[in-house]
Amino acid sequence: MAVKFDVQNLNAWFGSKHVLKNINMKIEENAVTAIIGPSGCGKTTFIRCLNRMHEITPGARVSGKVIFNGVNIYDNGVDPVIIRRKIGMVFQKPNPFPMMSIYDNVAAGLKLNGVRDKKILDAAVRRSLELANLWDEVKDDLKKSGASLSGGQQQRLCIARALAVQPEVLLMDEPCSALDPIATAKIEALIRKLAENYTVVIVTHNMQQAARVSDYTAFLYLGELIEYGPTEQIFENPKHELTERYLTGKFG
Amino acid sequence: MSRIIDTGLKELSATLYRMGELAHRAVLKALIECIEGREAHKEVREMADTLLAMADHIEDKAFELIARFQPVASDLRTIKSYMKIAYDFARFGRYALDISSINKQIGGLRNCEEWINSYVKEMSEKTSEMVRLSIESLKSHNTQIAEKISEKEKEVDRMYFEFLDELIKCGATTKCAVSSVLIVRYLERIADHAAYICESIIYIATGQKEVLR
Amino acid sequence: MDYYKVRVVKNHLVQFLVYLALFSALVPLFSMLYEVVARGFSTINIEFFIKPTPTVGEIGGGVANAIQGTLITIGLASLIGVPIGLMSGIFLSEYGELKLSAAVRFLHDVLNGVPSIVIGVFAYTLITRSIGFSVTAAAFALAIIMIPIVTRATEEALKLVPMSIREAAIALGIPRWKTTITVVLSGAKKAIVTGILLSIARIAGESAPVLVSMGFWRWWFAGLNRPVANLALNIFIFAMSPFENWITLAWGSALVLILLVLGISIAARVLTKGRY
Repeated sequence: MAVKFDVQNLNAWFGSKHVLKNINMKIEENAVTAIIGPSGCGKTTFIRCLNRMHEITPGARVSGKVIFNGVNIYDNGVDPVIIRRKIGMVFQKPNPFPMMSIYDNVAAGLKLNGVRDKKILDAAVRRSLELANLWDEVKDDLKKSGASLSGGQQQRLCIARALAVQPEVLLMDEPCSALDPIATAKIEALIRKLAENYTVVIVTHNMQQAARVSDYTAFLYLGELIEYGPTEQIFENPKHELTERYLTGKFG
Repeated sequence: MSRIIDTGLKELSATLYRMGELAHRAVLKALIECIEGREAHKEVREMADTLLAMADHIEDKAFELIARFQPVASDLRTIKSYMKIAYDFARFGRYALDISSINKQIGGLRNCEEWINSYVKEMSEKTSEMVRLSIESLKSHNTQIAEKISEKEKEVDRMYFEFLDELIKCGATTKCAVSSVLIVRYLERIADHAAYICESIIYIATGQKEVLR
Repeated sequence: MDYYKVRVVKNHLVQFLVYLALFSALVPLFSMLYEVVARGFSTINIEFFIKPTPTVGEIGGGVANAIQGTLITIGLASLIGVPIGLMSGIFLSEYGELKLSAAVRFLHDVLNGVPSIVIGVFAYTLITRSIGFSVTAAAFALAIIMIPIVTRATEEALKLVPMSIREAAIALGIPRWKTTITVVLSGAKKAIVTGILLSIARIAGESAPVLVSMGFWRWWFAGLNRPVANLALNIFIFAMSPFENWITLAWGSALVLILLVLGISIAARVLTKGRY
């Protein structure tokens, strides 16, 4: 299988606080990789380094390389805006654009990048909503406000919005933590479906979710990558004692 | 730090240890009965039935823990292995019952050739030692004890084939031949299951599936 | 228990005092409204809205030119003040972590507190001295009064848009400046418009800076370098005059002005009804 991200010696800081320490990891293409670990271990910071979102926080700094499609995204000539179009992101709390309809939300990425042709936009909106398993539920009224949907639907709307710009990767930061179990199950099924065509990296504090949904699991602790491997191996027979203790809940 | 699953795991292992003790007693009783000729079939039958019921109970309890707590890593390996070990203990009971049935049915090894009796006696000792070792290794989760069983298992195997050779060479009264072959066969199976138990102990500790036979 | 009874009495006492304070605050408001309505109502007729200021001694007449003038003045002032206020507000909100921002915020607060007459004098010095008493000067002064209000309203409105919305837009690969003027601004639209409306209501009632920078004008609009008639200023001039006619018109103008401000405030409230 091909490597989508080759992370080399990635370090990240918030001001003087060193939050990611020498991460080396190869993320597989068209697979789901889960990042797990206790609170504050740097999981969210890590994925935000993959699409250059970490640096928008004042005082944030990154060193090391993230090689994506053969190019180090942190090279001098690379425009982060272009990177972010290829690497989409979905956040913990669903955040559809307020005051915008469902249609406008999904089309936002395309419209704001200059696409005007209504036919293209219509097709893109439909395709994205179908990909996100939301089309059937909203197709009768795309003009409804994005905020009028339920939590689970809003999250799928955000996924559709991210998919509309046709990224290659989808980064998900605890996408289900604000949702009820049924909505969660729908999104997990969606993630498995998306993995056929996209590389998905999902941060989750729910170990069972990582076990259900991912092909590979990475365990981060205090900013370091402790263990990384196929999910069934990590969850049946972890090699590192820290991993074992975290998975069995023996962390003090 | 105690976790919710710990109570369930403790209950599971306590039941398993009791099973182990009971299985050991059943095997011993059946063997003594067979070698010294004492009647104990009813007792052994009761023990075997209890062991079956306990194995069912352990399986149910294990599934309950899996459904409720979604255990992973060492917890998962432990629960999986406990289910297998419970089955192995139940088999001890079954074989003990089988041996006891031979005594009842055919009369055991009373009045059999001396060499047959001493062979069976030696194999019995080795086998019950293996049973004891396997239970000890389970209780202490000691993989070194588990490793030791590999030698013993090979010995019992060797003795089993030797006995068959000897029997064919020397011959014996039909009753003795049939009884002894069956008994020796069951002993060999008990030894196998004792080895399985130790393999499971190693699997819990290391996640590796070693073969000790 | 005795302590309980004492507490009950204290409760009632404080409640009474609170209601008393409320009435004391409302009394001047209502009595003023009553006066204005009572005295101004009779003046209001069609003529009032059609005819310009009457000359001294003339019967009848109206404040049509003052209404025109006021609308032109606040229109011109908005043209200058709103864009500047908007952009300042956007700067403070989106780039608020810079050291420059703290200084800008402080200066806006100072500007907010400068007496309007002083601003009028400033406009006089700058504009009136060069092009004469004019609506431009008055609009300039009023714009300066508007700017801090619009800036503050814009900044607060933008601050209410959660960071997650901005992040969602940035994560879509939209450049930062575009996220600000499209996504963020659209989320804050209502609050900003409300702020603008309230600032307009404020300057509609300013008379001192208008007097100093533009002066009194009796006729219709006559060019950007000439003054225009102004409702608030008219009230001042008319009320102080010895002419019966003008005094009556003053009450009418006061009523119209109050209704104008009231109307704008109600519009602002109605707009904010449908928020998130």
